[in-house]
Amino acid sequence: MKSFLSAIAFVLAAGIAHGDELRVLAHSSFDLPKPLLADFERQAGVKLVIVKAGDAGEMLNKLILTRAHPIADVVFGIDNSLIAKALDAGVIDPYVQKAGARPSHVGLPGGVASVDYGYVTLNYDKAWFAKNHLPLPRTLDDLTRPAYKNLLVVENPATSSPGLAFLLSTISALGEDRAFALWARLRANGVKVSKGWDEAYYTDFSRNGGSRPIVLSYATSPAAEVFYSKEKLTESPTANLPLPGAVFRQVEGVALVKGGGERQAAGKFIDFMRSDAVQKALQTTMWMYPAVDATPVDPALRFAAIPAAHQTPDENTIHRKAAAWVARWTQVVLR
Amino acid sequence: MRAERRERRWLYLPPLVFLLLVALAPAARLLLESGARFSVLSDAYLRWRLLWSLGQAALTCVLGTLIGVPVAWVLARTAFPGRALVLRVLMLPFVMPTLVAGIGVLAVFGPHGLFGADLQDTPWLLLYGNLFYNLPLIIRGAHDGFAALPASRLAAARTLGATRLGAFWRVEWPAMLPALGASLCLVFLFCFSGFGLALLLGGVRYATVEVEIYSLVAYELNLADASALALMALTLSGVCVLIYAWFERRLAHPAPVDPLPPAPPRHWQERVALALALGALFFFGGLPLAAVAWRAASAGAAWRVLFEPDTLAALGNTARFSAMTLVLATVLGVMHAMAGRARVWMRAAAFLPYVISPVCMAFGLLLLYPGLSASLGLLIAAYTLLAYPFVAKGIGSALDRMPPTMVQAARTLGASPPRVLWRVTLPLLRPALRRGMAFAAASAVGEFAVTLFLSRPEWTTLTTLIYRHLGRPGAANLDQALVLASLLMGFALLAFLLIEWPSHARRESGG
Repeated sequence: MKSFLSAIAFVLAAGIAHGDELRVLAHSSFDLPKPLLADFERQAGVKLVIVKAGDAGEMLNKLILTRAHPIADVVFGIDNSLIAKALDAGVIDPYVQKAGARPSHVGLPGGVASVDYGYVTLNYDKAWFAKNHLPLPRTLDDLTRPAYKNLLVVENPATSSPGLAFLLSTISALGEDRAFALWARLRANGVKVSKGWDEAYYTDFSRNGGSRPIVLSYATSPAAEVFYSKEKLTESPTANLPLPGAVFRQVEGVALVKGGGERQAAGKFIDFMRSDAVQKALQTTMWMYPAVDATPVDPALRFAAIPAAHQTPDENTIHRKAAAWVARWTQVVLR
Repeated sequence: MRAERRERRWLYLPPLVFLLLVALAPAARLLLESGARFSVLSDAYLRWRLLWSLGQAALTCVLGTLIGVPVAWVLARTAFPGRALVLRVLMLPFVMPTLVAGIGVLAVFGPHGLFGADLQDTPWLLLYGNLFYNLPLIIRGAHDGFAALPASRLAAARTLGATRLGAFWRVEWPAMLPALGASLCLVFLFCFSGFGLALLLGGVRYATVEVEIYSLVAYELNLADASALALMALTLSGVCVLIYAWFERRLAHPAPVDPLPPAPPRHWQERVALALALGALFFFGGLPLAAVAWRAASAGAAWRVLFEPDTLAALGNTARFSAMTLVLATVLGVMHAMAGRARVWMRAAAFLPYVISPVCMAFGLLLLYPGLSASLGLLIAAYTLLAYPFVAKGIGSALDRMPPTMVQAARTLGASPPRVLWRVTLPLLRPALRRGMAFAAASAVGEFAVTLFLSRPEWTTLTTLIYRHLGRPGAANLDQALVLASLLMGFALLAFLLIEWPSHARRESGG
């Protein structure tokens, strides 16, 4: 049966030639200006086929599932929470950057070239806290006190990358047992769990029709609030709340897909993602910080302070433990 | 007669091959990847998820019937200005992306809501959200059934002394039941195998079993547990569909074609009933949409989004994909309905696209056809798969009602089978076909197909564009998303009007 199905697949796939196309697999937040991509196509002499495969975690699993017949030549969006899994599954070929490539202070192992980085952290609604005369929480423990009951919404680590990042940072800061004890108390204090970022930000966050003034988002979100505001703002309506144990640093990279084609163009694409033009553009299209050192920071990002510290477990620990931690989290927070 | 049977057999083929290639084979392929680990079903938490999924789906059907049937009866029996428009507008909730629907619902009943009552995180809001999405199907289904009731039969009952209520229970209700049943079956499957507005409004506590399957497949790559859960869900929904199909075949009875035309309200009770029906319709379906449109209307500068090249491209894609889907779904759906009348399993197979877990289907397609993974063909096939049950069901119910005498007469008079099909059968089926096509278009415009499958930026539809805006922070993004949602409503309404052009419908079935 399996071979019969594979045979159908092969016949159907054979009808499709890829020619001079470079297939780029990316997560749903991938976004670069069209003229920039067109420039690359001209210079590299290939047509870019961008394929979006959902959230980063979902994208990697699609890549792993199809490793026998890779669906892309390059993949963008593998980050430090996924990289060990990707390397373990053998879906990545290392890419050696040219000598003289510009250095990064954030890197990824396994021949994956870092492109950008950012922080998953809590944001709060300034107007809500001003109106309710409530002081800001100073620790995650504060969020378990009655004064902060029903004020927090987070994403489910089982269905959302930022949700998983937050869980990881709590464990990194407190250790496993104390972290889950904290989660149990957060549950008792009415933490709401949403499926993904969109739902949390647009239906639960008090700035957008919901009732909760603290939301799990990104450190650049306050800057995006100013950039995408209706009238010109001089300060952001939201701000970061980088409590200890609630900051996860995410480093995203671009890599060669094992078994993919168009090797030369793929290499050019990796260099392109680290080029000046892309490093500048991605700051306000994907709202991440440039990974390449000495890239000028976009003025829009001045509304987003980089957190002073972060609590990020190393890649291998994440790979070894994430599934068990998510299962335990589900047990503690949802059951 | 034998020639006809051979023709039927030929009709079986295209829909079955299509279902096999796009629904069954991918799901089977995913199952074969790792087998199914049934021990997962001993997990009390997952059993609770299954039970909750079943319970909320059943409850939505019951409440939907209680509210939808009276509304549909009034709409089918009462003539009033704008009636044709109301019947088309009421399908709009169906095309709303879940997140926008959630924003609309919260704008009315949320913490900053219109009525000042915060219902967020209460069960009331979840039920309201489910009814918002599913009442259109139930009302259109029941209306379809009521409208097709032969006038002579009702007149006979009344002449024989039946009271109005008696005539309703003994004549109208049974005649309407098959059409309502088909809609309820779809509503049940949507609620059971969808992610649900409940999840959005109530948080993860209200997740359906499909969300667990999604998490297991997409995030944990735990295919063995996911397959076991998916098989369990498939068994439960499959049994429901088979029971329904068997029941439907028993209920199927031909009826003369002299539909009862709606009459203007004669006395005050009928006027009150009409006002109540329209009020209920607005309360459940209209309020959140009106809230979205209202906020969009006051969005000011965000309206500029309409003139961006991305929006125009998305509108073009939406129109193109819907049209392609509609053609394919109509051809396959009509064949399916015509081939499958006699057999329970064939009737049930029309629901297959909604019986199989969408997550498993999407990942199975990827696994089975990696070379086609980002091809337009596969995308349209996926859209078609989700659209065609509407056509197949609509036509199926209409065929059941069609008296065999007309076809027999035409055959006796020497018309060839294709000629009978073209001149007799299809014209008789036209109202049902149009209604089915309108819902099929709605499912193609809506979000069902967009979230799980691979997508390419150049295929951005209005729905994907809305989600792109809602994937970023900022008031301007929210405003633009709501403006785009209003554009989507406008486009869908235009499509509904074109597909079910009112003047035709009025003549044919009082719709």
